[in-house]
Amino acid sequence: MAALSSYSMPTEQPAFSFQNQPQSHASGGPTQHSFYPYTDNGGSTLGISGSSFTIIAGDTRMTSGYNILTRYAPKLFRIGGEGPEHAGAKIVLSVVGFAADGQALQERLDMVVKMYRYQHGKDMSVHACAQRLSHILYNKRFFPYYVQAILGGIDEEGVGALYSYDPVGSYEREQCRAAGAAASLIMPFLDNQVNLKNQYEPDAPQGLEKPQLQPQPLDRQTVEELVRDAFTSAVERHIEVGDGLQMMVITKDGIEELYSPLKQD
Amino acid sequence: MFIARSEYDRGINTFSPEGRLFQVEYSLEAIKLGSTAIGVTTASGTVLGVEKRITSSLLETSSVEKVVEIDQHIGCAMSGLQADARSMIEHARVTSQSHAFNYNEPIKVESCTQAICDLALRFGESASGEEEESIMSRPFGVALLIAGYDEDGPSLYHAEPSGTFYRYDAKAIGSGSEGAQAELQSSYHKSLTLPEAEDLVLKTLKQVMEEKLDANNVQLASVTKEKGFRVYGDEEMKGCVGRIENE
Amino acid sequence: MNHNPQAWGRPRDDVYGAYNSQYLPQHHGGPSAHPTTHTQSPIVTGTSVIAIKYSTGVVIAADNLASYGSLARFTDVKRLKPFNRKAVVGFGGDVSDMQYLDRLLSSLDVQENYSHNNDDPEDTKALMSAKNLHTYLAKVMYKRRSDFNPLWNSLLICGLDEKNKPFLATADLLGTTYSAPTLATGFGAHLAQPLLRKAVPDEEASQKLDKETAVEVVRECMKVLFYRDARSMNEYSIAVVDEKGVELKEKEKLENQSWAFADQIRGYGTQTV
Repeated sequence: MAALSSYSMPTEQPAFSFQNQPQSHASGGPTQHSFYPYTDNGGSTLGISGSSFTIIAGDTRMTSGYNILTRYAPKLFRIGGEGPEHAGAKIVLSVVGFAADGQALQERLDMVVKMYRYQHGKDMSVHACAQRLSHILYNKRFFPYYVQAILGGIDEEGVGALYSYDPVGSYEREQCRAAGAAASLIMPFLDNQVNLKNQYEPDAPQGLEKPQLQPQPLDRQTVEELVRDAFTSAVERHIEVGDGLQMMVITKDGIEELYSPLKQD
Repeated sequence: MFIARSEYDRGINTFSPEGRLFQVEYSLEAIKLGSTAIGVTTASGTVLGVEKRITSSLLETSSVEKVVEIDQHIGCAMSGLQADARSMIEHARVTSQSHAFNYNEPIKVESCTQAICDLALRFGESASGEEEESIMSRPFGVALLIAGYDEDGPSLYHAEPSGTFYRYDAKAIGSGSEGAQAELQSSYHKSLTLPEAEDLVLKTLKQVMEEKLDANNVQLASVTKEKGFRVYGDEEMKGCVGRIENE
Repeated sequence: MNHNPQAWGRPRDDVYGAYNSQYLPQHHGGPSAHPTTHTQSPIVTGTSVIAIKYSTGVVIAADNLASYGSLARFTDVKRLKPFNRKAVVGFGGDVSDMQYLDRLLSSLDVQENYSHNNDDPEDTKALMSAKNLHTYLAKVMYKRRSDFNPLWNSLLICGLDEKNKPFLATADLLGTTYSAPTLATGFGAHLAQPLLRKAVPDEEASQKLDKETAVEVVRECMKVLFYRDARSMNEYSIAVVDEKGVELKEKEKLENQSWAFADQIRGYGTQTV
């Protein structure tokens, strides 16, 4: 929409097509277009895995520059399960970045997972799905899906599983990960609160040998509170984050979806 | 079955008026000319055994390969035209590796069998002109016994040139299959141990083989959870053969 | 700009010399041809499209102007295209791409009519809903952007979904899609959207809105857009889609304009006082 609202109109000046994109209006010259196939739709996502659950969350604002395109555009998707409602699904994909690519990626992965069930007569495990997602992204590395993906579920031992990706398919299993516009605001908070970085035994004497606090598996309520705190804080400091918080809690029993409003300013 | 033979048995994919595909039926006959192969499933694993036809005393017996690995957890025994089996096994190996690559997990035995059978009916006259490559001009002349171990435990599948496959507790294919299957029918029970299954396979082969069974003209292999697919070596073969001869 | 469309968007020969096509392979026309090029910028354009959902339907509007740069070139271009009695598409951006999409939708509609018996106006079950149409158009737009040959439009697709509930969503040249109770493309995203959101802040509010208020809000927005958008005009099309079908008016005039505010504006151009 930003591209449309900032049309350059044909002028008497020479208009050359082979120019680098994107251009800034500040340069003073006439604005020209050559087609740039990506845009950033803002927003942020976050995932934390526990000993028997994984929580994935994302705000629901979608932006284009300074415009709020919509206040409700979910970035969390159920993957697999039955029919368009994904009944019985136990894998969640979150995508943040270029929304059209995110949508396309989600549809492809969902198709792959559903086809897997027809072909192999069993539900796909998260770690199989994680590997497949990596390949889907990597196969398009010369024209990437411009998204940061986080995949969550329960592994074969019943433990929460969380995988994070870069746009060309490099991936890793982690305890927690923030992605998107406010990743740089949320991730340090998570490092401190989930992995207990820079937290030390309170009663130990000062000095280099001061023992670090060891991270413990968190319970579901604590994680939910952490997620809410992370987002309410991000909303205060990032203009592309806000409107609503969507959370999906994956347990052995399935996916529970929660929604709560965030500030709309 | 040859009573209805007519001009309809030449068109590779032409149904006869009675609704039969003669070339496919003939390909099943080709298997009956092949050496006998037997598979037996137990709770701890599956045993495969094949007869090697030693046509000459000058033949290097170890070069007769009728039991091969498809993946670490899947193996296969064949009967019929061995050369045809190569391309099916090649396909199965590629499918298994591609599954492991894509999904970071071993393929299920049934899925692997299905992949092989998908190949079986890709034959016919129209083949050469069309966009699909490496298609056969005739049906495969080989049947496979596919043994494997996956999350559902050990299993044994029989795949035919017609593209159908079934799961068996115990199955014999090849020239001696009728007699062998009858023997398996009477001797098989669910509580067999792996060594007992080895014995059953060898005893059954012994009954239906024309030559006298020894450690050189049969080959055993097994699939277990612990060791995966494994073709038995010379020493182990001698041990197994010795065991049934001492009884 | 010269008047040879072949030259538009290409490096000028008088500045850069003729294009050296020596390297081009035969299937691209050989060394005498030019490389394959696609639309790199829109030529004749339509400005904003705005729409709002109300309790039982949707109101959508767009003016009837097609601009050629700053020239108001065509003044009776209808940019709202009814698809069937459940769906209307509003087009912003390049007009030739709009006409291509219109032809695409016509052939789609013909196919739909052959594959279903739509003679019964009461039976809307087999009818393609606005939601279906939106999905289809979104895939077309995304495919074209992925081929680096975009359809330079932003579309609003509105009407009723398969449950006959009001539906409103958008698709643009990048294949980006989203929906909201109120939507506006182009300049409307800046000027009309705040006014629309004031009337309908959320989904709940849109379910309480009546048709008359919705139409009134949209007309007011068209007026504001005409005041401030230099590529707009005072004649526009407005469509209401509800269970009764599509009610499309294509020759509406802006009424009760007040330019009193313009009198106060200082600081543009040579005006210094």
